[in-house]
Amino acid sequence: MAALPKRIIKETERLVADPVPGINATPHEDNLRYFDVTIHGPASSPYEEGIFRLELFLPEDYPMSPPKIRFLTKIYHPNIDKLGRICLDVLKTNWSPALQIRTILLSIQALLGAPNPEDPLANDVAQRWKEDEKAAIETAREWTRTHATV
Amino acid sequence: MDSEQIDYQSLNYLSTVDHNLCCPICRSPLVDPVYTTCLHTFCSTCINKALERSQTCPVDRTPLQAEDVSPAPIMIANLVNELAVLCPNSELGCTFTCARYLVEAHLSHDCEFVYMKCRECGDKVLRRDAGRECLHQLEECTHCFQHIKKIDMEAHEKECPGLLGECMHCRLEIERSELKEHEFTCEEATISCSSSSLGCPWSGQRKELSHHQAACPFTFLRPVLQAHAERLTKLELENRTLRKRIEQLTPRINQSNTTEPLSFDEQAYQFLTEQEHMRQDMERLSATLGELEIKQGMLLMNESLRTKEELAGIRAAINGIRMQIHWLLTVRVHGTEHRHVVGGGAGTPSNSAGPSHPAEHSASRRLSDNFGQGVKL
Ligand SMILES: [Zn+2]
Ligand SMILES: [Zn+2]
Ligand SMILES: [Zn+2]
Ligand SMILES: [Zn+2]
Ligand SMILES: [Zn+2]
Ligand SMILES: [Zn+2]
Ligand SMILES: [Zn+2]
Repeated sequence: MAALPKRIIKETERLVADPVPGINATPHEDNLRYFDVTIHGPASSPYEEGIFRLELFLPEDYPMSPPKIRFLTKIYHPNIDKLGRICLDVLKTNWSPALQIRTILLSIQALLGAPNPEDPLANDVAQRWKEDEKAAIETAREWTRTHATV
Repeated sequence: MDSEQIDYQSLNYLSTVDHNLCCPICRSPLVDPVYTTCLHTFCSTCINKALERSQTCPVDRTPLQAEDVSPAPIMIANLVNELAVLCPNSELGCTFTCARYLVEAHLSHDCEFVYMKCRECGDKVLRRDAGRECLHQLEECTHCFQHIKKIDMEAHEKECPGLLGECMHCRLEIERSELKEHEFTCEEATISCSSSSLGCPWSGQRKELSHHQAACPFTFLRPVLQAHAERLTKLELENRTLRKRIEQLTPRINQSNTTEPLSFDEQAYQFLTEQEHMRQDMERLSATLGELEIKQGMLLMNESLRTKEELAGIRAAINGIRMQIHWLLTVRVHGTEHRHVVGGGAGTPSNSAGPSHPAEHSASRRLSDNFGQGVKL
């Protein structure tokens, strides 16, 4: 593999030296493009008190193409499917090379605080979210308790 | 030098650069800066690559075409071009620093650490060695007799197996190739006890090991300790699985019955309230006890007062009787004297009572009656 671009080195250094509150991203020693990520569920959301694990990979042409991110912890959310894939426009069509790992992780944390059932990825979850939001939120809370607490 | 392009984006700068002079895409100081119709500045290669993917400005997402991009004002270009950088070969040993726009000239004319073609054989050689004779000819190592390229000889001498090396423990001079092996048997090498994994802190020269092990308690207990260690790992494993199961079970318990598991604080609180109750009970009991004592004392006093009065009455009555008896006795003595005087002779007392003293007699009777009444008081 080619040498790591300066931009990735700089981003990694900043992530480690000046981490975003509630977000932690650590690169693998043997592959500096692969990160172990944890995100704390935002306060007063059904994911509060949960710690969610994600994997993040910077493809060869990053930052021209977006990082690949996936939830590893099970989560009940209308925009995240069973495999942990995330429906977030900035990760797909709205990606810009001026975005960074930290801004992307912040938008994912924000997505946890503001689920959007109108733009679903997990259809059954979104359906339930629209029909009975209270029950759906309770399920999300329960999943957080069972899967996202240590 | 080779026609290799300089990777400006990976240059190292002498000081940190103001972020306004950095490209929002590669985050390095701008290289060949351009600016857009929406007034954002990028490296020209960066924005061109970005526009291949998406026809929008990476910063504000306004629609953007290649023709909306033009070279940045010369002042910006000068600012970034004059930033001081390290030579790209600094890791190889070049200590040269210069303004960024001079790097290319340094590499193509001066840098000693640029690879060039050997004049004689065409192989790669650093500029600093290029002026001498061809370094790619083979040469025999004087120690191990291997054939080594001259250019590699310096590196070879560090690891030539034919050169003598000195054992750092016993100072024995020995061929390098055998040095490693020697260390495994060197009598003076410092080693630790073979039971160090079990906790033996001993370390010393190899020749003293057998002496130590003859007395080492850890070696002695080795079988026992090992069995313990095995059991411990087994128990730890079991503990871990059990803990996991507890973790799986606890949320369910918490949901179904939130009051059951009392925390330590709650228990302590219960004990304290119970103790408080008991203390109050005791206070009440001792108060009643005091009251009872007082009542009993009063009763006792009343009773003894009456007894005392009665006793005084009885005493008075006894006194009366004594006086009466005294009186009677005196009357009797007077009576016999009187008879002596009247009858002139001594007679029996019963017969002596004559009709001459009936009044005195009845008076005494009445007196005794009075005393009797006094007793009844
Ligand atoms: Zn750039
Ligand atoms: Zn713009
Ligand atoms: Zn140089
Ligand atoms: Zn040569
Ligand atoms: Zn040699
Ligand atoms: Zn030795
Ligand atoms: Zn020992």
